Amino acid sequence: MTFLALSHVSKSYAGVPALTDVALTLRSGEVHALMGENGAGKSTLIRVLAGVTPADRIEAMLDGVAVSLTSPAELAALGFRFVHQELNIVPQLTVAENIMLGRAAPRRFGVAVDWLAVNRIAAQALARFGATWIDPRQKVARLAMGDRMLIRLAAMLVASDTAPRLFVLDEPTAALTHAEAERLFRVIHELRRSGAAILYVSHRIDEVMALADRVTVLRDGASVLTAAMAGVDRAGLIRAMTGRDVTERVPPRRGGIGVELAATVADAATDRLRDISFTLRAGEVLGVAGLEDAGQSEVLRLFLGEGQLRAGQISVAGQNRSAGPFAAWSSGVAIVPRERRREGLAMGRSITANMVLPHLKGLAVLPGIMSGRAERAMARRLAAQVRLKAKGVAQPVRALSGGNQQKVLFARAIAGKPRLLLLDDPTRSVDVGARADIYDMIRTAGGEGCAVILTSTDLPELLGLCDRILILRDGRQVAIVEAKGLDAAGLLAAIYGDAA
Amino acid sequence: MTWLRRYGTLAGFGAIVLFFAVMLPETFLTGRNLLNISQQISMLAVVAFAMTIVMVMGDFDLSVGAMASLSGVVAGVLFAPYGVTVAIVAALAAGVLGGILNGLLVAFVGILPFVATLGTLTIFGGFAFLISDGRTIFGKDIPEPFSNFARGGVDVLGVSVPALSLVALGVLALVWFLLEQTTWGRRLYAIGGNMEAARLAGVRVRLLRTSAFALTGLGAAGAGLMYAARVASANPTQGNGLMLDAIAAVFLGMTMSEDAEPRVHATLVGVLILAVLDNGLTQMAVDSYMREILVGAIILAAVGSAGLGGLMRR
Repeated sequence: MTFLALSHVSKSYAGVPALTDVALTLRSGEVHALMGENGAGKSTLIRVLAGVTPADRIEAMLDGVAVSLTSPAELAALGFRFVHQELNIVPQLTVAENIMLGRAAPRRFGVAVDWLAVNRIAAQALARFGATWIDPRQKVARLAMGDRMLIRLAAMLVASDTAPRLFVLDEPTAALTHAEAERLFRVIHELRRSGAAILYVSHRIDEVMALADRVTVLRDGASVLTAAMAGVDRAGLIRAMTGRDVTERVPPRRGGIGVELAATVADAATDRLRDISFTLRAGEVLGVAGLEDAGQSEVLRLFLGEGQLRAGQISVAGQNRSAGPFAAWSSGVAIVPRERRREGLAMGRSITANMVLPHLKGLAVLPGIMSGRAERAMARRLAAQVRLKAKGVAQPVRALSGGNQQKVLFARAIAGKPRLLLLDDPTRSVDVGARADIYDMIRTAGGEGCAVILTSTDLPELLGLCDRILILRDGRQVAIVEAKGLDAAGLLAAIYGDAA
Repeated sequence: MTWLRRYGTLAGFGAIVLFFAVMLPETFLTGRNLLNISQQISMLAVVAFAMTIVMVMGDFDLSVGAMASLSGVVAGVLFAPYGVTVAIVAALAAGVLGGILNGLLVAFVGILPFVATLGTLTIFGGFAFLISDGRTIFGKDIPEPFSNFARGGVDVLGVSVPALSLVALGVLALVWFLLEQTTWGRRLYAIGGNMEAARLAGVRVRLLRTSAFALTGLGAAGAGLMYAARVASANPTQGNGLMLDAIAAVFLGMTMSEDAEPRVHATLVGVLILAVLDNGLTQMAVDSYMREILVGAIILAAVGSAGLGGLMRR
C-alpha cells in the first residue's frame, strides 16, 4: 500500500537546482533504497521530506490525502522518524536516558523521575527488535557504534505516542563493522514486518541489493531510475548513479612487489595488540582485517609511534620506528586516518591549508619562511592529480563532498612520495566514482614502490586491493592469509575462526 | 547579510570615528589626539597582539595582565642594584618563563587553558606582591632613561611619534610576520583548525603550543615594561586590567575574518575600536562606569552580528 507519494519535487539554492522534478513513492512494509553519488541531491530530498528545507515545488500525498511537509513536529506526529549519519546520542547518559531523550520521562508524585519505568520502557523498546543484550542502565559511552545505532532506533520507537510509520536511515552502516551491520539488517527486517515504510540511503551496493525491495536513483538532482530491486543489477545501478560505465573492480597492481623491505614487525605487543609479526616489501599491499574494533587502527598507528611497545621490534626501511607522527612523516610514513572529520581535516580551513600541512618544510623559501604562492601551486597540482572537484583550492574543505574530502587527505598523504602509506578504511562514505579514483591512486603509489597497509570494512575491497591480509582477533594476530584465490566467504571464515 | 557579517565591525568602527568627529569637531580628529590615542593604546595593543598568538590555536591566556604587573615589578626591584639593561632582560625572561609554564601546563599536563592560566594568573599576581612587598616602586628607584623613553618620541616626517606607539607597531609587524609568513604560524593555525588532525599530520602540537604560550608571556612582559615606563612606577596590580580588553580586542578582530580565525591585523582594528571609544567618551565626559557598559554592549553586538557565537562551537 502506498504510504507516501512525492512528485514534482524541485528545489534550488541561489538559482542552482539541487532537485528537479523528483518523484519518490514509499510503500508500507517495504524497504526503499535511495542511491546516488555525493551531491546528487539525496540529502536535500531527505531535508525536504523531514520538513526542514521547504521545497520550491512539491506535491505530497499521504495515504492518498494531500499534505504539506513543512513542520518537523507535525511529521513526527504522523509517524515520520529520521536516523542521521551523525547520531544524536549523548554518550554521558545511560541507554535508557538516551532512548527517552525525546519525550518527558514518567514521574512519581508528579516530580521525581520514575527511573524504574524509564528503564522498563527502554528495555521494551530494545526488545521490540530483539536487542536484549543491551542493558538500559549502561552508559552509552561504553557501547560500540552498532549498539548506539540500535539505541537510536529504539528512541524512534518511543519518540511519540503515534506508532512510527516511516523510518529514514541515512547511511546507517557507514561507521559499523560487518557483524554490526548484519545485526542492523535483522532489525530493519523486523521494522518492515511491523508494516513501517523504510527509506534506506546508502552507497554500498551489495547492502542495498540484499536489503531493499525497491530503489530510486538520483543523479544531478533528478530521479533517473525507480524500479523493483529484483529487476536491476549492479551494473545497471552504477550506470544510473554515475551516468557512465564505471568499473567497480579494483584495478590490478602495476608492477611487481619489490625486494626492498619497507617495514618489519617482529613479535610486537602493546596494551592493545599482541603477537604482531610481518614483513612488508616495497610496493606490497597488506590488509588488516578482523571483527568490530579488533585493533585494526592500532596496527596502523604503530608506525606513527603510538602504543607503548611491551615487546618486539618495529622498523621502517631499516630504521627503528618513529617516536611520533612528526618523525613518522619525516621518515616517509603517511596516513589517511579513519575519522575524516575528527582526525583528518580542519573542516573550516582551505583545501590548500589541509593539503600542504605535513609538507610545509619542503615548501619554505628560506628555513621557516613560507611562500603562499608555492603552497597554492602545490595544492593545485595535487588537486589535479587526484581529480578533485572543487571551486579552487581556497575553498574550505567543509564545502566539499565526502569523496572529495577523502581525496584531499589522499593528496596530502601521497604528496611526499611516502615509502609506507597507512590507509584506515579509505573508502568509507565515498561514492562509486571517487572510490574508483582512490583505487587508482593506491595502485599508482604501489607502482612507485610505496608499501601500503590498509583496513577496510568492505571485504571485496580488501580482497581486491591486498596481496596479503593480516587477521586480528581481539588485538592478537592469528594469521596472515594470501588474498589470491580467497573469496569473501573464505575471508569471513578466517576472521571468525572457529566460531564460523 | 554576508556583507554585514564580514564588514560590519569595520563599518561600526567607521561609524564610531564619524560620531566622535561630529560630536568633538575641535579636538577629536586632530593629529595630536590621534598620536595621543596611539600612545594610550600601545600597551593594550602589545598584549592583544601577543594574545592573538595563542588564540590562533583556539587557546586563551588569562595570565597576561598579571604577567604584565609582575614584569614591571621585577624590573622595578632590579633597576637600583643591577641597572636598566639587566632589569629589562630579567623582566622579559620572567615573561618567557611564565609563558613556558603556561604552555607546559596546557600542552603536557593537559589542563584546559582557561583553568591553567587562571591558576598562573593567581600565582604571577602573588609573586608580584611578594617581590614588591605590596608597595608601589617609584621615584628614584625608576631610572630616568627608562621613563624618558616612554615620554620621548621619534621624528617621522616632521611629526614626533611617541616611542611606545612605535614599539607597538614593531610588535605588530613581528607577530604578523610570525603568524602569516612562517611555517610556525601555519602550524599554529592548523592546530586551531583541528588539533588531533594536525597532530596526525606531523605537527608537534605540544612543542608548538608551549612556544606560542612562551611568546605570549614575552609580549605580556614587554607590555608591563612599557606601562612601568609610561607611569614611571611599578605596582603589583597595574597591568591586571589589560587581560580582558586584550581578549575583547581579539574577538572583535575575529568578527572580521571569514572563517572566524584570529588575524593579528584584525586584532589591531579591535584595539583601535576600544581605544577610540575610551578616548572619545572620556572627552565627552561620559561617566567611566557608563563607558564600561557601552564597551561591553558593543563587543556583544559585534560578535553576535558576525555569528561568531555559532562558529566558535564548531
